[in-house]
Amino acid sequence: MRALRRYPVLAALIVAAVLMVLPFLVVALNAVKSPAEYSANGPLSLPKGLYLDGIADFWERVDFGQKLINSVLISGSVAIGAAVLSVLNAYAIGIGRVKGRPWVLAFFVLANMLPQEALVYPVYYLSKEVGLYDTRLSVILVFIVIQAAFGTYLFSSVLGAFPREIVEAARIDGANKWQVLWRVVVPVSRPTIGVLLVFFFIWTWNEFLLPLVMLISNDNQTVSVALGVLQGQRLMDATMTNAAALLGVVPAVIFFLIFQRTLTRGIAAGAVK
Amino acid sequence: MLTARKRTGRLTKRTGTVIAAAVAGALVLAGCGGGGDEAGDGKTLTLWHYEAPNGAMGAAWKQAIEEFKKSHPGVTVKFEEKGFEQIRKTASMVLGSDSAPDLMEYNKGNATTGLLSKQGLLTDLSPEVTKRGWDKPLSPGVRTTSRYDAQGVMGSGKWFGVPNYAEYTMVFYNKTLFKKHKVEVPTTFGEFTAALRAFKSKGITPLANAGAEYPAQQYVYQLALSQADRSWVDAYEQYKGKPDFHDAAWTYGATTFADWVKKGWIAKSSSGTKAEDAGAAFIAGKYPMFFSGSWWFGRFKSEIKDEWGTFPFPGSKLTLGSGGNLWVVPKGAKNKQLAYDFIDITMKKGIQNTLGNKGGVPVAADPAAITDPKAKSLIQDFTAYSDGGGLAFYPDWPVPGFYDTLVSETQKLMTGDAKPDAYLDALEKAYEAGAPKG
Repeated sequence: MRALRRYPVLAALIVAAVLMVLPFLVVALNAVKSPAEYSANGPLSLPKGLYLDGIADFWERVDFGQKLINSVLISGSVAIGAAVLSVLNAYAIGIGRVKGRPWVLAFFVLANMLPQEALVYPVYYLSKEVGLYDTRLSVILVFIVIQAAFGTYLFSSVLGAFPREIVEAARIDGANKWQVLWRVVVPVSRPTIGVLLVFFFIWTWNEFLLPLVMLISNDNQTVSVALGVLQGQRLMDATMTNAAALLGVVPAVIFFLIFQRTLTRGIAAGAVK
Repeated sequence: MLTARKRTGRLTKRTGTVIAAAVAGALVLAGCGGGGDEAGDGKTLTLWHYEAPNGAMGAAWKQAIEEFKKSHPGVTVKFEEKGFEQIRKTASMVLGSDSAPDLMEYNKGNATTGLLSKQGLLTDLSPEVTKRGWDKPLSPGVRTTSRYDAQGVMGSGKWFGVPNYAEYTMVFYNKTLFKKHKVEVPTTFGEFTAALRAFKSKGITPLANAGAEYPAQQYVYQLALSQADRSWVDAYEQYKGKPDFHDAAWTYGATTFADWVKKGWIAKSSSGTKAEDAGAAFIAGKYPMFFSGSWWFGRFKSEIKDEWGTFPFPGSKLTLGSGGNLWVVPKGAKNKQLAYDFIDITMKKGIQNTLGNKGGVPVAADPAAITDPKAKSLIQDFTAYSDGGGLAFYPDWPVPGFYDTLVSETQKLMTGDAKPDAYLDALEKAYEAGAPKG
């Protein structure tokens, strides 16, 4: 009976998984096709042979290694910086219970809902004033704030439900506020912080508009901006775009796969305790 | 609980230090990566363009960089390939900062180069143009997009850009399909419609089209142009007189286009397709004809396996076209002299001939040096239009944001949701709302 009920769920999951993977497959398929083959047989045909020139040409053309370093640097700094900032904010709001908490949280949600298009000009003028225009640091700072807005909102509600007994026990043991945060709250919430880190990293990795506007020199550009080079005014190089998309996605997927393991380990460790 | 806390406590101390170090390291690294600030020492030329390296312009300009290096020993050329979107979205911001290049490719038109010139972000090139004679090879139709008045409207005033190439529309046709179905290549409009009918009767949709992008509106505009004259174009594009959207030309364009869709000469199902799809379908030999611009030429040349050729749209003295994108020199450029020298090189015969042989439409090539027969006829057809004042620009130019109106209204015309009259009403309304008054 139970097995019978499970099969439809399994089937639905398989269908969903196929639907999710299909676009990636199409991208991978076209990444290894020659432009002539693509034009002749369309995007859904199977490639006749492995054509890797598209990937190699793209790598050369945009100096992809440098873009990877930039993206890792920016996304990594943002993930760590935003997570630290979120933890500090959320500690004050969730455990410290500062006055006017709901308003502060509402403000953070609002900041999070602000479309990035609205930020473009203010961020441009401010960064020009302080001499940070066309530097990676400008993008890092902006995204630390943007991501931390969401992180604060989420982590505050997590800490709002944090067992008060643990905090009080630590206080009785003589821990000050700083020690409570770093020795009690952070270790216990490690899985949540880990999830935030992964999200921040991947979200920042995929950001397009602000890096496009702020990173002018090719040496400072990120992977997602570099992909834009291929979109011409009237023409597009479909196979090379696919090759580039594949190159752009792979690092984020690898990152996720690595941290996926540490995440589950962290959650399991918490469960035993 | 207590032991657990102790254990994790030690752990976090260590990770805390690691995190702090990582953040500090990242910030320091990021801080060093400022854009190099070269002063105006005449030793570096910073150059941006957004042409693919294997296209006609990309190849010609690569050669120009080599020649520039030869004639300017000791000068470094800092070339950066940009994305079209990046330049389009950020040009006004970049040009207002210290990071502006010395020379860049930019889109012609009121909403682009015109706007930047009005904002005072571009250098007036008029003195250099006269001194170096860049205007000599350019026909009046090509010059239009280089000059902008104080309001940023093209056609008159100072020179803010210099084009290296031009573009125009024509009918691309698949010779193999014409031969296979025994259809003659048309030279008059009557023969053209006869050819369309012949293909349709064999079950083939004769014309490739893309309703979701520029091709559909270009069919309509070309059909209207076939019934129009120069003053009609000037009224519509340059606000010299009030255009009448219900005159004979517009009415003919809209009704004929709707009629062709009804007859199946243009597939109704193409109302939602992109230009890329239409081009790819033509390359694959699914359609015998495609009316579009010279920007496809290089790609068709390298990718079409069948025999193919081009002919001018039959029965029309006017066609869509203009000067190509411009070289502009930002106001804040630090090495303007080098930028002028580079433009000069790109206007010389050597670079222009390369551009022509690679499938571009050069503005100052030596006709005898163009060896490829297809490229030769491409350039000859262009010269005929250009000398005869036949370049009629593009339908979306007069009004900012008009492109989207044209796309969506033409889609309605294709699907039959709008009759030609209602279609023209909608265009008139958008045009009136957006065109400069006075």
